[in-house]
Amino acid sequence: MPGSIEVLHTDVLVIGGGFAGTWASLRAADLGASVTLVDKAYVSKSGASTMSGGITTCPLDTDDMDLWAREFIERGDYMCDQRWTYQLLEGQRERVKDYVRWGVPISRAEDGSIRRFASRGMIDVRGMQYQPKAAMIELRRRIVARGVRILDRVHITELVTADGQWPSNGAIIGAVGFNIYTGQFVFINAKRTIVATGMIAMKGTHRVDNDTGDGVAMAFRAGGRLVDMEFTFGGTFNVLMKKFDFPSYNVAVAHGARLINARGERFMEQHDPVRLERGELSNVVAAFAKEIVEGRGPVFVDLRHVDASYWTDLAKLHRGGSILLSGHVPDPRVNPLPIEPTWGLWASGRSGLQIDLGARTNLPGLLAAGSAAKNDATGTHASAGSPTAFAKVSGWHAGETAALESRQTDLESAPQGLIAMLQEKALAPLNRARGERSADRLHDDLARLESSVVKSMILSEGRLNELLQGARDVAGALDQTAAGDLHDLVKWHEARNVSLNAEIVYRSALDRTESREQFYREDFPMTDPGWFCWHGVKSTGEGLAFDKQAFPQEGARFLPEHQHSGLGPIGAIMSAKHQPAKAL
Amino acid sequence: MSVHAISIDPATCTGCGLCVLACPADVIRMDAASGKAKVVYGGDCQVCYLCEDDCPAHSISLSHDITNPRRYSIYDEPGGTF
Repeated sequence: MPGSIEVLHTDVLVIGGGFAGTWASLRAADLGASVTLVDKAYVSKSGASTMSGGITTCPLDTDDMDLWAREFIERGDYMCDQRWTYQLLEGQRERVKDYVRWGVPISRAEDGSIRRFASRGMIDVRGMQYQPKAAMIELRRRIVARGVRILDRVHITELVTADGQWPSNGAIIGAVGFNIYTGQFVFINAKRTIVATGMIAMKGTHRVDNDTGDGVAMAFRAGGRLVDMEFTFGGTFNVLMKKFDFPSYNVAVAHGARLINARGERFMEQHDPVRLERGELSNVVAAFAKEIVEGRGPVFVDLRHVDASYWTDLAKLHRGGSILLSGHVPDPRVNPLPIEPTWGLWASGRSGLQIDLGARTNLPGLLAAGSAAKNDATGTHASAGSPTAFAKVSGWHAGETAALESRQTDLESAPQGLIAMLQEKALAPLNRARGERSADRLHDDLARLESSVVKSMILSEGRLNELLQGARDVAGALDQTAAGDLHDLVKWHEARNVSLNAEIVYRSALDRTESREQFYREDFPMTDPGWFCWHGVKSTGEGLAFDKQAFPQEGARFLPEHQHSGLGPIGAIMSAKHQPAKAL
Repeated sequence: MSVHAISIDPATCTGCGLCVLACPADVIRMDAASGKAKVVYGGDCQVCYLCEDDCPAHSISLSHDITNPRRYSIYDEPGGTF
């Protein structure tokens, strides 16, 4: 028996309370819009923002933005919208000033200036280290002061379409969800809705378990166009001694951490003599896989050479760093320790909802920001610090666009009976008899698809079909899976979203018959210039429709000298034929 | 030993509720009977330290030794090197 439905009205609805969602809320509220921000956890303690390593791109007024933009564009293999690259850098320069003004703790040099260092994957672009948790607390404080209505612990289950269809030909008019403590069902009727739900990931493998790609899956069901979903595959070196969480790899290598094999060889010297462990993460992971496959494992992280500030900042800025000096592992200041990466669904902007310069998606009324959106500023290679920069800047633009457009828009109400139907559907697992599988089991089965880093990185039609079968198996089990309580119901919805996202990723990977950047298919190891484009996908209701779209010429200041056509970089590393991008 | 990574000491917990807010995974709830924080969904603890950081009474401890069953190690594969 469904309970009552609470209906709230707002100019701008923001789903997700990390950097993207809070910046969107702040900007929209500053422009006078009424804003409702909803999060399944507690805004400021949710998702990857609070948990991030604390490195963000740090352009200052004195930097040459052309130089920085060129590096982003070249390293991203020109697979971007160059207008977004400039918009990101110019926006981030202002956001850094905001952090300074707000007193967010930033790592400083002795003379008091911001201590900057080369971002991972970069030579000219500089990042800074700050305290992300403090930034999130400050953002919450500021949006509360602006009168933003925050709904903590409300899990959004579906976007609401004006025509009651999924996929829809109409506008997005808000979203529905339930309070995870009380079960109260709510319809937030909005003029503009911003999806800021963070990364697509599996639950449990990266331990940022809120990031289940809910917004991407919901938008896809509603007809949203996603791009480059096969580039969702990613990961980082995050497992120490088989079971401990290694604190930010990006931070460690920025301070001089090295990777060595069982023979003590610094194997990245062969593959990227300039940037070494700071090269493109996928290349470093591929080099790791080569060491393992060829019997030179385990691979150790060697922290004996890091600068002193690593150890002092570790305690101060990154709480999870405590494992290193906890006594649970041999002292890493004198002992290299076995490390390994995870590789699987982990997007951070390389894939997601495509947005324009105003953060609009293809669906009327729907915008996206942060890692739920494709970061078109940096292409497929997000350097250390650019995902959080993009979260801030895309959030800011999404908030601005949504607020301005809501001034010329009337609230559109939902078709009769639609919200009650969505309520019944969302809560249905609570009323089911317990079957063989629980929501936890579904997540176990999904996480198992990621398993070996080697198998997740080296793809083929056969391997992808196996993965696809696994995702479909979970999706097919949803209707027989009960939720024991509201907490469990959240996990049921997350399993629904993760299994859908996984299917889209695997099918996109099957559709791309080449290897490029961090995407590697053993059966199509060459880069095909015909795939130098955005790879779009939409729901047709019955299935998936793929498209290819050329990168825009407008605003493109840098053009590739030629199109790659050789072996993709991962294949090249595995066969020791890799030629790193020219050193600047 | 606890089966979960997180444990809260009821003897020192003041019932302020800050850990309930801090937990991204909804692991902790307030126990109406005792007025103190209680681990209800301990299996979902992601060992992020946000609750421990926010606890003014230092009542929360997190163990590094609870294995995450969803985490896979390539070193455990046949022929694994350690």
